[in-house]
Amino acid sequence: MVYRKIFLTAMLALSLFGVPHAIDADDGFEHQIPLGLPKMRVPKDNPLTGAKVELGKQLYFDPRLSRDNTVSCASCHDPEKGWSNGERFATGIRGQVGGRSSPTIINSGYQYFQFWDGRAKHVEGQALGPIQNPIEMDLTLEELVEKLNKIEGYRKAFEEVFGTPVTSDGIAKAIGAFERTVLSGNAPYDQFKQGKEDALSDAARRGMDLFFGKAHCSACHGPPHFTDGGFHNIGVGIENDEPDVGRFAESGLGGDRGSFKTPTLREIEKTAPYMHDGSLATLEDVVEYYDRGGTPNPQLAEDIFPLNLTDQEKADLVTFMKEGLSSPDYPAIKAPELPE
Amino acid sequence: MLRLKGTIVTTLCLLGVNCFAVETEIPDVSGEEVVSGLSNPCGIAVQPGTGHVFVSDSAASRVVRFDPANPGELDEVVTGFPKDIYGKGPIYDIGPLGLKFLDQNTLAVGGGGLKDGQEIVRFYTVPEWGNSITADDMKASAGPVGPGDESVIGEGNFYALAVSPNAIFVTSNGDDTKGWVHKIDLQDNQPGDLQPFIKTKEATNVDAPVGITFHENYVVVGQMGEITVPEDSLLTFYGPRTGRMLANFETGLFDICDLAYSPSNERLYAVDFAWMDTAQGGLFRLDQSSEDGQQTVNSVKVAGLDKPTSLAFAPDGTLYVTIIGTAENDEKPGKVLKFSGDL
Repeated sequence: MVYRKIFLTAMLALSLFGVPHAIDADDGFEHQIPLGLPKMRVPKDNPLTGAKVELGKQLYFDPRLSRDNTVSCASCHDPEKGWSNGERFATGIRGQVGGRSSPTIINSGYQYFQFWDGRAKHVEGQALGPIQNPIEMDLTLEELVEKLNKIEGYRKAFEEVFGTPVTSDGIAKAIGAFERTVLSGNAPYDQFKQGKEDALSDAARRGMDLFFGKAHCSACHGPPHFTDGGFHNIGVGIENDEPDVGRFAESGLGGDRGSFKTPTLREIEKTAPYMHDGSLATLEDVVEYYDRGGTPNPQLAEDIFPLNLTDQEKADLVTFMKEGLSSPDYPAIKAPELPE
Repeated sequence: MLRLKGTIVTTLCLLGVNCFAVETEIPDVSGEEVVSGLSNPCGIAVQPGTGHVFVSDSAASRVVRFDPANPGELDEVVTGFPKDIYGKGPIYDIGPLGLKFLDQNTLAVGGGGLKDGQEIVRFYTVPEWGNSITADDMKASAGPVGPGDESVIGEGNFYALAVSPNAIFVTSNGDDTKGWVHKIDLQDNQPGDLQPFIKTKEATNVDAPVGITFHENYVVVGQMGEITVPEDSLLTFYGPRTGRMLANFETGLFDICDLAYSPSNERLYAVDFAWMDTAQGGLFRLDQSSEDGQQTVNSVKVAGLDKPTSLAFAPDGTLYVTIIGTAENDEKPGKVLKFSGDL
């Protein structure tokens, strides 16, 4: 073992955020990373390939991954609705309604924790959860594997990608690989930071200054992902008789009671309604909520306090989020042809 | 978790060998417990000249010292610091935090017991052994940084300090949109005002500068990251004059709390509190490495420790580490550990 002290040579290793780049896979697949997003860490046991991403896309859009063939991943994470579902709560098979809203999967490949409470790690760890949830897609993994192995197109694709018949591990990896390609960057904010001064309107620029200053948004929603990937209690729903304890159910730490994962604000205009319980219909409602300092409770995050924003400041803040964080290259991915 | 070597330790104790060994995970480094009964110790510094070790016994609102030759005897140095709480659960009582000597007789203490926007850095003339002074017996102070344009809610929790020939650098909690490292200019070794200096959050996009040290004309910062997120701590180098970020590295650690360079060979060490999973916490050596032609950091675990908070080297290369520990019954589980060998 050679011990070496940390030292600096001329300008080493500064991350080149803001420079679009692609990562080549063995089969020529290029992982296109939009302007403003950093290189994505991809698990060594699940390298991205074109065939795997395409398989993952088919699985993602296929309602046959649910018991009654009515619900796919895309049902609750719909590209046409910001990769969320446009409703307050997620709705599974037989019209069963869950207790939390559908978080967008945009840029989720960068996130360590998945779900509002972080009960899964990385996208591969998340992919099989809803499939097995009785009120979402309601299939056991055994049933799922047996079902998909009866579809010749999937059998062939799994043989090609993984060298095996359909397996639950392969399903998770393929869906995870596809989700790692659902990216939003190159927003007007990113272009502005790259030096394009007219990328943002005057109102959006004023809103940006508030976002990173008086309005305190960047304390948790900082770039490049506009989420810190962590968990915070902002008091939403805490007044309920039996409030959702959020992250506490997973961590057991008292400070996590009522905490939920910070959502990304990229493409935020498309992902209404807002908050873990979908209780705020518009971004204007969200700004009003923060402006009054959330809902007091013992675990309220210290970054939540009355902001005393003027009406003009509130409007500018909303303009920044809508205009500045919506990409002209929104990932409007269409459902592929499904295998038979 | 502080791991005692069970049967082996018991056997050694019966033979009259040190009973408080700390298990280490690399060869040629040994550790032992030298002080116990502390309440959330959060800062440590070695006094030039005497070699006495000073500790922020934070929840006890005091700074104490011990002579390494006789660590069983604790001497109160400064008492009566204000006390606050940290965290939402678990919750820790905290008072004095970071410690650093400007010279043999001048001790700087980062405060943690006042609210953000009211907190100060205090400077004391060290009293003779056996004589204590109170927190108000300052010979100087710097701060506060109150609410304003630079900090929406004001600054507090001055976790750690680093001293260069011309300035003191102070990590803090406060405006999480900025993540300030503050600077106190030194003129003829006299401290000036506390000024916000480096916006580490804007530089790194990660929260919470906590650990800090000064080395070879670099301000070296351990960016703790989110306490609810693992493996997001950073090691970042800044220029001391401009505050410009020169390099930034992922470490794979959870929550870096303090940094120190070994005087023997300039290896860099960090302590990781690992808030969300304290079993992962410990003392780490941060080695230079490379990946795909880029310089990286390889974090090597030296010892698993139960909520370590600060570390300091003595000139002879002995390393002292404070740990908060875990209380069983009503005991005070805070400790100072000593590591020696190939550090």
